[in-house]
Amino acid sequence: MANVEGKATAITVVTPVRHGGRFLLALVFFIGRHVTATLEKLQTLSFIHYARWAVIRRFPDGDRGERLGHTYLFFESNFNGTWDQYIDAFSEVVPTRMKAIWGSSYGFPGPIPVEPFKDYIRKNEYVANHYWSAYPAATTTEILSAQRVADALEDFRRRSAQLEPEAFASAYRSLLTDVQRDL
Amino acid sequence: MKRERRNRFGQAYGVTVLTPILPDRVSAIAAHLDTFGPEDASPLARVPGTHFARWVILDDVVYQGGRQRRDALKAPRLLFTSNFDGPLDAYLEALRTALGEDADAVWGHCVGYPGRTDAAAFAGWFRSHQVESALFFAAYGDQTVERVHANLAERTRLIEFAMAAQGLAPAELQARFRAEFPS
Repeated sequence: MANVEGKATAITVVTPVRHGGRFLLALVFFIGRHVTATLEKLQTLSFIHYARWAVIRRFPDGDRGERLGHTYLFFESNFNGTWDQYIDAFSEVVPTRMKAIWGSSYGFPGPIPVEPFKDYIRKNEYVANHYWSAYPAATTTEILSAQRVADALEDFRRRSAQLEPEAFASAYRSLLTDVQRDL
Repeated sequence: MKRERRNRFGQAYGVTVLTPILPDRVSAIAAHLDTFGPEDASPLARVPGTHFARWVILDDVVYQGGRQRRDALKAPRLLFTSNFDGPLDAYLEALRTALGEDADAVWGHCVGYPGRTDAAAFAGWFRSHQVESALFFAAYGDQTVERVHANLAERTRLIEFAMAAQGLAPAELQARFRAEFPS
């Protein structure tokens, strides 16, 4: 299995879309791009580093493209945690969005209950031949935490530059209190 | 490309490339991809700006049964996706120069691959096999790979410093802090 690199897991899924489904998908993804709620929901699934969907009408071939009998929906995700935890979270946290996105794909059983949904993903996913992460030991949460810590530290350095030792020590303790949840 | 921005999230860019594989070359690609090791042993470690990337061989699309009409790809496809620090042009050039022989050893088994000697032809071939994202999500799309690494290191340093500095008198604390975190 090349789907795992350190703490990161790759998922790659391609599913055939029912006739007419691509118009619905165009609307779903239009909303996804323009109404921030969808992206914010993904943000709350705090273990996703990067994810993307694509609607493939023609498989590119350098010319006009290869057109199959159906449009295909492509999905990839880069997340930390196990495959099961990931699908469970999708099923529990964003079931209506899952339904909106995959509801037009053939064979989609719905996000709930989760077992048939998992069977469906298993059936339609591809195992990576090679998968790579620049920071395999870091979770999404750690990366976001580290950003907050780095920002707070930067700010503290600036604020504390002119302080006397007593005031510095007090400001330093405040800094640790402020960032302790991110350490 | 007018819809180019759909592939972006902050400074992050998601590229999806699907290239048809030449007859009887699937096992040769798979064999070469199998030689790539994890972390620094992957050729992707040489490509600056890469957060997560993968190669996946798609033998064919998956038939769902039921009322779906059966579909088949003319040829198996090689999928390459990367989540990287944009823009695309600079990244394609980085792929060409940094992957070097590995680029030829992988994509050389795909239809129409022009080789890596001609930068414009190389980039053009990738662009003509690119699939545009419908929705692209990055949890920290404002952070480059360099920034992620720097923040994680900074967080670790602060944790270590805080442990070591427990109980220090204010003047000593300040001196050690300035030595560890010079402004």
